[in-house]
Amino acid sequence: MQLAVSAVGLDRPGIVAAISRVLLEHDGNIEDSRMALLGGHFAVMLIVEVPDDTDPVAVEESVLSATAGMDLVVTVRPVAHAASDHLEGTPYVLTVYGADRPGIVADVTGALARWDVNVTDLATHVLEGKIYVMIIEVSLPAGTVPGKVERALRDAASGVDLSFHPVEAETL
Amino acid sequence: MAVRPVLRYPEPVLKTLALPLEPGPHAEAIAADLVDTMRASPACVGIAAPQIGESVRAFCADVTGHRRARSQHGLIVMINPVIEASEGAEVIREGCMSLPDFTGNVRRAAAVVVRGLTPEGETIRIESDAFEARALQHEIDHLDGLLFLDRVSSLTSDVFTRKRYDTPPSR
Repeated sequence: MQLAVSAVGLDRPGIVAAISRVLLEHDGNIEDSRMALLGGHFAVMLIVEVPDDTDPVAVEESVLSATAGMDLVVTVRPVAHAASDHLEGTPYVLTVYGADRPGIVADVTGALARWDVNVTDLATHVLEGKIYVMIIEVSLPAGTVPGKVERALRDAASGVDLSFHPVEAETL
Repeated sequence: MAVRPVLRYPEPVLKTLALPLEPGPHAEAIAADLVDTMRASPACVGIAAPQIGESVRAFCADVTGHRRARSQHGLIVMINPVIEASEGAEVIREGCMSLPDFTGNVRRAAAVVVRGLTPEGETIRIESDAFEARALQHEIDHLDGLLFLDRVSSLTSDVFTRKRYDTPPSR
């Protein structure tokens, strides 16, 4: 059985250590995970393989008690096994940046969704001077013309700068 | 001469320091297999002896016609290579046949001078830049038991390291 575990709280040392120790005590194996400092909060997202008879509520309670005092927002929920994390399509990277305004993410990802372009990775950050930077990795479905998606993106993201190019990995 | 299977991590030989190789018939035989194995994979621009199970310091590379290449020395086959000089730095997203399903942004020197021997024992010295320099450094890393994962730069400059595609990105 797989659990989706998330936790967010003010950054401090020991968050990852406490959570991963508790998961280990539940015979959990952390598979894919992503953790990052977001605006001073440490955010944890994990997919954890646990024995089938595991009670997700009990795991959540254990995480909460092990991190008591850290004041984390914690969720532990069972999730269906994904058939495969292999992706089809062509990987592209989209970079969007400019003066911060509400709606950049919604506008850009809305255009992607209309073209059936799947977001596989996304990170945003507000730089000094209120400059907003968003980097998205997407998967372009077979047969999609990149230039058309790019035009739709430029229409959607008026007033900000944008680049859209294929991910070029070199096999050596 | 034969096309050999390309070993994948966690084969221990990929994490082993490879030993120097005496020029001569044995080295020539390994070199021939390296070239045959490289040529058997259309996208392959280089392969090192540990990748075919030989823990010796030999590799071949050929970046002819690659769109990222500047210097192009054609087929390079070298044993006991040493990087004599390097300069500049460049970050490129790399993959490796011994670590399929992974790519990572790797910072490497933009130009290198590599000296070594041909399998027959003749000294060769290659001044190389751009993609050829990258290929040489990647293959020489294999001889030291290093995979590109040992070289990835920091996570912040290396946002996308774990995407797997059934069909490799077009190149």
